[in-house]
Amino acid sequence: MKETLILCVFALVSFVVIQRPTKLLAARNGAIRGRVELKRTVAPTERRPGVGDLGTAAARDLPDLLRSVVYLESAPRGAFETSDGGHAAMDQRNETFVPHVLAIITGTTVDFPNSDGFYHNVFSLSKTKTFDLGRYAAGNSRPVRFDRPGIVRVFCDIHAHMNAYILVFGHPFFAMTDKDGRYRIENVPPGTYGVIAWNEGTSSETRPITVPDAGAAELDFTLR
Amino acid sequence: MIRTSTRLACLLLVFAAGGAQAQTLPSEPIALANGRVTISGDVSAGFGSEDPGFFNYTDYEHSALRLLRLAVSTAIKAGPHFTILGEIRSENLEGVRPYALYLRIKPWTTRNFDIQVGRVPPTFGAFARRTYANDNPLIGYPLAYQYLTTLRPDSIPASADELLRKRSLGWRVKYSLGDQTADPGVPLVSAFGWDTGVQAHTTVGMVSAAVAVTTGTVSNPLVSDDNDGRQVAARVDVRPVAGLILGASLARGPFISQSAARATLGDASNASFAQTAWGADLEYSRDHYLARVETIVSHWRMPIAAPPAQQVALQTPLGAMSMSLEGRYRIVPGLYVAARYDYLGFSDLTSATATLPWDAPVTRIELGAGYSIQRNLILKGSYQHDNRDGGVLLKIAHMVAAQLVFWF
Repeated sequence: MKETLILCVFALVSFVVIQRPTKLLAARNGAIRGRVELKRTVAPTERRPGVGDLGTAAARDLPDLLRSVVYLESAPRGAFETSDGGHAAMDQRNETFVPHVLAIITGTTVDFPNSDGFYHNVFSLSKTKTFDLGRYAAGNSRPVRFDRPGIVRVFCDIHAHMNAYILVFGHPFFAMTDKDGRYRIENVPPGTYGVIAWNEGTSSETRPITVPDAGAAELDFTLR
Repeated sequence: MIRTSTRLACLLLVFAAGGAQAQTLPSEPIALANGRVTISGDVSAGFGSEDPGFFNYTDYEHSALRLLRLAVSTAIKAGPHFTILGEIRSENLEGVRPYALYLRIKPWTTRNFDIQVGRVPPTFGAFARRTYANDNPLIGYPLAYQYLTTLRPDSIPASADELLRKRSLGWRVKYSLGDQTADPGVPLVSAFGWDTGVQAHTTVGMVSAAVAVTTGTVSNPLVSDDNDGRQVAARVDVRPVAGLILGASLARGPFISQSAARATLGDASNASFAQTAWGADLEYSRDHYLARVETIVSHWRMPIAAPPAQQVALQTPLGAMSMSLEGRYRIVPGLYVAARYDYLGFSDLTSATATLPWDAPVTRIELGAGYSIQRNLILKGSYQHDNRDGGVLLKIAHMVAAQLVFWF
């Protein structure tokens, strides 16, 4: 009985000791910010010539290929706790996946609404997540939960030119760039990390960066 | 041929194995000149059982189950109003031939209206425009688009008796009038050649319509005319709800070549002998399944010669009817199963000794599956059962085939 009590007290103390430093660190977390410059031209996937079509295909939207993702190659301890990543959405609009790139944390469920007046068939054969949502009409949406980190290429089985990327991370230290290529990864515990920038299947070298206490570290990338 | 297909298949598999991560093979169309030029490719290599009954032959040398096909398609956009489209093909590496080459004109950029001039896509029916091998869930073709009947536009039977004697020999046939070279007969609608002419197409709401004036007929598409006649073909399809397409087609044009008509009726003849075809098709898809139904009825009006002694004259029109039911179901991502039931029947003809369908009716069941090694590399396998009711060739055949399809 006495031994059990000691064990319980030890477990409680250990829990408090393990939890407190994280909370203390969280108060002094910093950020990584910078810009990703694209020195390469990436063109959207063209339609196949459609020689068998009786007429011109309707105009479609073009995907935004300028958004990059910047992420920590390895995250601080404790960052890999499994969690419910909530919901994100990847729309199918005018024969384009919107957004073209989605960065999420493991455990996130991505909804794939169809906003077009015709069928789409979203699927992926990526090792990270294999799925096929079948054909469904406008106004409907189907969800997919992503539980493993990795890159998932998403396609439409009906419209071969439709494709998108979902980057699934096991930690929350990533950010999408804005239209000017700027990014900011928030709430990073102080320390030295490797950082990678990614755009349309091309990754930068891993760049080292040291995040100061309660400050922001600057890191720019150029992708060629 | 088998060796060539095998080598190509091995090459594709090696690339695919290494390319699963590195994407060694192209996975999307090649775009040049800021997207004004688009090039795509389509390779299919088929390996199948022997077909001693010639059920799958598309001419006297090529079986659809054992076909190596390389196709390159190009679209060149010359401003907002003009696009040049073309496709070249090589079958079994026996030379390269233009399959399609036409100019697409869009008179108004804001209206859904196009005019196409040249060797244009088929107006009639649904299957023949599915030009890419991955559009066909199985390896064989629907009978209406592939099976060679015993009719030829340039060689004419002198009597009903002569036509009935040739039942089932459509892969290589000749008659006593007209061209005396043994050549393949024609299918109801050819999926292996496109016609030449002018085509207009429009879409208004849920309705699309196309009309074309061309040189050949649906059975016998041509580049240069052989009878001074023009075929008129029209098609309407309606899409009342997402996933449902209802189509109807009609085509009528002179079928018999002028030289064959004259060989039958004399040099003074300038009569026209037309093929008339009606088609109806339906496609419905939802979730993971796709179903297609297509039926085609065709009549050929033939020149009737004075029959030899003790034989009966040909009676026309000669009719044929096809029915095709096709289904595909995706079991898991990257893997589907598919099936097609096909029937091709012929109108009765009376000779001196019997009344029989003028060609032997055929029933085909094909069951298959497809597995995506990667998105644009598919391995298909199928089993095909063919049953021919009459004729002199093999009546029942069981065949298996595999096909590797790569596209970008």
